[in-house]
Amino acid sequence: MANPVIMPRQGQSVEACIITAWHKKVGDAVSEGDLLFSYETDKSAFDEKSPVSGTMLAILAAEGDVVPCLDNVCVIGAAGEDISAFTGGAPAAEEKKEQVPAAAPAVQKEAVPTTRREGDVLRISPRAKALALKTGVDMTRVSPTGPHGRIIQRDIDAALDSGYHGTVADVEAFLAGGYQNSTAVEVAQSTAVGAVQQGQGDAVFVTGGTDFGLYEEAPMSGVRKAISRSMCASLTEMAQLTLNASFDATSIMEYRKQLKQNAEALGLPKITLNDMVLYAVSRTLPAHPYINANLVGDSFRLFRHANIGLAVDTERGLLVPTLFGADTMSLAQIAAASKEAAERARSGQLSPDEMSGGSFTVTNLGSLGIESFTPVINPPQTAILGVCTITNRMRADGSVYPAMGLSLTFDHRAVDGAPAAKFLAQLCSMLENFQLLLAK
Amino acid sequence: MPKNQYISPSDAFASGFLSFDKIPLCQYKKTLAQEKKLYTKEDFLRIYRDMRIIREFETMLNEIKTKSVYNGVEYTNPGPAHLSIGQEASAVGQAYCLDINDFTFGSHRSHGEILAKGLSSIEKLTETELYDIMKEFLGGNILKVVEGKQEKQGDVKELAIDFLLYGALAEIFARTTGFNKGLGGSMHAFFIPFGIFPNNAIVGGAAPVALGAALYKRSNHKKGIVIANSGDGALGRGPVLEALNMASMDQIRKLWGMDGKYDDGGMPILFNVFNNFYGMGGQTRGETMGFDIAARLGAGFNPDMLHAEKVNGYDPLAVIDATQRKKELLIKGEGPALLEVATYRVSGHSPSDSSTYRSQEEIEEWKAACPIAAYRSKMVAGGIATEEEFDAIEEDIIKRITKICRMSIDEEISPRMDLDSQPDIISSIMFSNQSVPSMDTQREAEVLIPKEENPRLKQIAGKARFAYDEKGELIPKIKQFGLRDGIFEAIIDKFYEDPTLIAYGEDNRDWGGAFAVYRGLTEAIPYHRFFNSPISEAAIVGSAVGYAMAGGRAIVELMYADFIGCAGDEIFNQLSKWQSMSAGILKMPVVVRVSVGSKYGAQHSQDWTALTAHIPGLKVCFPATPYDAKGLMCAALNGTDPVIFFESQRIYDIGEQFHEGGVPVESYEVPFGEPDVKREGTDVTILTIGAVLYRGLAAAKKLEEQYGISAEVIDARSIVPFNYDKVLESVKKTGRIIIVGDACDRNSVMRDMASNIAEMAFDYLDAPPVVFGSRNWITPAYEFEKYFFPQADGIIDVISQKILPIPGHVSTVNESEIEHMERSKQGL
Repeated sequence: MANPVIMPRQGQSVEACIITAWHKKVGDAVSEGDLLFSYETDKSAFDEKSPVSGTMLAILAAEGDVVPCLDNVCVIGAAGEDISAFTGGAPAAEEKKEQVPAAAPAVQKEAVPTTRREGDVLRISPRAKALALKTGVDMTRVSPTGPHGRIIQRDIDAALDSGYHGTVADVEAFLAGGYQNSTAVEVAQSTAVGAVQQGQGDAVFVTGGTDFGLYEEAPMSGVRKAISRSMCASLTEMAQLTLNASFDATSIMEYRKQLKQNAEALGLPKITLNDMVLYAVSRTLPAHPYINANLVGDSFRLFRHANIGLAVDTERGLLVPTLFGADTMSLAQIAAASKEAAERARSGQLSPDEMSGGSFTVTNLGSLGIESFTPVINPPQTAILGVCTITNRMRADGSVYPAMGLSLTFDHRAVDGAPAAKFLAQLCSMLENFQLLLAK
Repeated sequence: MPKNQYISPSDAFASGFLSFDKIPLCQYKKTLAQEKKLYTKEDFLRIYRDMRIIREFETMLNEIKTKSVYNGVEYTNPGPAHLSIGQEASAVGQAYCLDINDFTFGSHRSHGEILAKGLSSIEKLTETELYDIMKEFLGGNILKVVEGKQEKQGDVKELAIDFLLYGALAEIFARTTGFNKGLGGSMHAFFIPFGIFPNNAIVGGAAPVALGAALYKRSNHKKGIVIANSGDGALGRGPVLEALNMASMDQIRKLWGMDGKYDDGGMPILFNVFNNFYGMGGQTRGETMGFDIAARLGAGFNPDMLHAEKVNGYDPLAVIDATQRKKELLIKGEGPALLEVATYRVSGHSPSDSSTYRSQEEIEEWKAACPIAAYRSKMVAGGIATEEEFDAIEEDIIKRITKICRMSIDEEISPRMDLDSQPDIISSIMFSNQSVPSMDTQREAEVLIPKEENPRLKQIAGKARFAYDEKGELIPKIKQFGLRDGIFEAIIDKFYEDPTLIAYGEDNRDWGGAFAVYRGLTEAIPYHRFFNSPISEAAIVGSAVGYAMAGGRAIVELMYADFIGCAGDEIFNQLSKWQSMSAGILKMPVVVRVSVGSKYGAQHSQDWTALTAHIPGLKVCFPATPYDAKGLMCAALNGTDPVIFFESQRIYDIGEQFHEGGVPVESYEVPFGEPDVKREGTDVTILTIGAVLYRGLAAAKKLEEQYGISAEVIDARSIVPFNYDKVLESVKKTGRIIIVGDACDRNSVMRDMASNIAEMAFDYLDAPPVVFGSRNWITPAYEFEKYFFPQADGIIDVISQKILPIPGHVSTVNESEIEHMERSKQGL
């Protein structure tokens, strides 16, 4: 069977390329990998090699021609083969098979799969289009079998059955190249929706572009609603701002290494860097009563102990169990308690009581590579600490050290910048001298 | 065609002369001295008062229309006002003889008749009866407006006159406090509690409707007579002539009455022609008609010559004299009757009429002959009353009309419907949607034999109520309970349940209907409930409308759907509109059975569902299985709305192939508006309307067997109303739909459905909704029908061409878009 060679699409914004040179003539023997033709875009030049072996049966564009991407450029096959299907000349083979009975002269030609040409309107049924967008099949690469070259549902199904697995990028490519009126904003929206989608397993991404208004309703879960209410209240009712700092994590990393090597022997639980931060926070907070506090109306609740909320990402959404009296716990106890609280959060076993009563919250996006962020305070607390990732930094002398970022958001109604900064500085200092802190 | 009436050649060819009796022309000769023995002074004065009220009422309307002010009250009325100034004596004279058991039907020029009949009813009813009527009508809304606004408090009759004038004027001004909440208007005002039945904006439209009310009285042995009022112009209309003929049918006096059990006599209807000599501007005598004297028509309809007579309509006493004599004839059972009341309108056809068709001299001469002034002079001269007494009456009337006019235009007390705050107010009255199994639960149904002795039911009892036996084998058709049996069962059950039910049409009795649906009814149901009508489709449907208005339930049959045109006005303007034009006061429990033919060519094979579905206010269905036909007929007969019930002659004998357990013996309803999935499938939906269901199923079978395509077949069953839920559910599943029917493609119900489905399911569609109907041709001879009506193979062709190309399928019809564009260009 003859094989068409198409003009490749070199990048999503490229619509057509210019053939600069042919390296084969019609009738030439061609081996797989042979150089067929050279072409260029307005930015670069490329060579196209033959994907198959055979005889060059037809060259469909001359040197200097501008060929739309994905259009056939030449046909390679066995000598003498019918290539009309690729050249758009004689009727396709399928049509020829259809014998018209003499008794019924007014027979209608059945539609035949055709390849869409640049400039053609992309004909696709609303149903097929919705399915393509849902599955990510690139509509421009689907062979239409509907009436008048219309892509219909079975064509998308066929593409999927043949192992085609589309991606959001495919849809993006389609939107960018296939539709004149699709804008960059719409593309951005569609990818944004797609990305959000990954975080919310149950809803189905359909589209974000205005051309494609399809979507599915995904009702807010109870947890989501609670988070929504709490976060909105937090941001509308408080005067929040974030301070970013980092500390030299050499000390805690070193200590963690020691623990790793000896924990089993000592019967200690697995202790993470986050546990150490929690420990440091629990020992720092008592000296900063307005940060270890709740602000309710016009009065503060200044907690005697550090009740640290632990932000846990669960399938149902963000949950914040409280480690009551963390300042009274050893590092090992904090590690065990935080591990248990996180597990209970993920398995949905937390009671409402376990998720309230916090005086301060620690949230950690460091494991996801976040270098700094603005955590949102969990009302009615007055501050929250965000734990960031570790990056390498250079000292003035050229030596490199691991720096861990901390982002402290605090409520300026409750605390001024200087005392908050002092808290953060003290925390950094304690973490840099962690082994000393352990004495506390 | 009763067998006991023998037609012999010797009678048919008998030699002789046909002679006619004399028709009296203005033979009233009584003197006032003679009349004084019949009327009291109050009677004489009341006749004057009533004429003067009508004159003032219409003068007021004329002033408002032409000058936008009456007696200091300013108002603009954009609606119509067809006045009858000059005709007051005719209206008052007629109404004088009538009570609330006598029904009047009018024309577009009937303000005077309404007021006269209302004033006459007020005079005859007791104060308690009057007050109860006013209190109950529309929840007392009209009474609330007028009560307490009389100079003389506590006089119920005075209050009732205000009630009547206000209810009529508020209706003319389209106020919610009008007799029909403003939905009827000037040309359709009426007030049933006083026996005032609808006027009709269609000239002559009321004649067959009035006949139906008379038929109700006749078939249900009710008191009173019916008067069909019309102008002379209406005598040129077919429905009027059909009504005159149908009212005169020999059978009423010769065959009805259950062998002497009932002695009701002829049809109790008076066709009363107010001959004002002009049909709009066309002069009936001397120009547009040849009758010379309208009363001459009576000679053409029966040997009694309809007791025809002409009377001077400018003399109320002459009109009373004549009407009273006609009423007595009708009550004696010697109806129908025809009365020509010669009169004249000095006002134009409408206020915009400049009277270019008549001379000023003519108008002036008639003005000089003013019936009111002449009557007054006669009364004064005869010493009945003084000028001062008449002046006092006149002064009182002007004051009253001014008050009524002021109240009717007051937005506070006479508001219009508020479609902003109540957008569904008209939607809510388009159908009554009630279930009333019997329109009269007090009476026993009059029948000839107990139902269980019915020969047809005995025959049906031996039939298979499901088309397949236990082994799934098809039972021979002759042994199957057919679609015609389903319709019959629903109808005969209702005949025994609802004593008011009547059925008629062409060849219904003896023959059993042209398609044998009614076989077995002749033995069971007496003539006055089930009869052969003349070949008069307008009168058939029109009379059913009047029958329902009067309180009964009717099934009428048009032998072929192609005859719908012969009953055009009656279906499109009368049957469909009276429920809503009456603001829901009237009910219209009428089933019009229409049969869609095949094999009989261009004028006997048309599916005209689209014509009836287009008209708001009609329910339309087209069942295709015995189960659905019986269930929909039961629903139609329990309901209170007009139903156009389409049946297909192709499948009267078809058995029940779908409903498990077969067609139930007992009564059940298939709800209107619900399509039915007859075959489930996943790849394409075939929505069929009517008998094409079976071609749709054949196509589905072939699609499955030959091409592995699974088709879902949905039977529309109903057309109006139509619930799209099931269709959309199917389309969401299959993504593809073809709508098939035997109607010509252009402007068909199929096109309407396709357009709706495209709008409602666009995002789910894998192809546009496609319509496959008949060609926009005449229906050719049976041998060529496959080129005209959609066939099973054609359905597959269309699916392959427009929806889902089927590899290897060879088409036999060309239904491509290009072909359709070409046809459309040629009007095909």
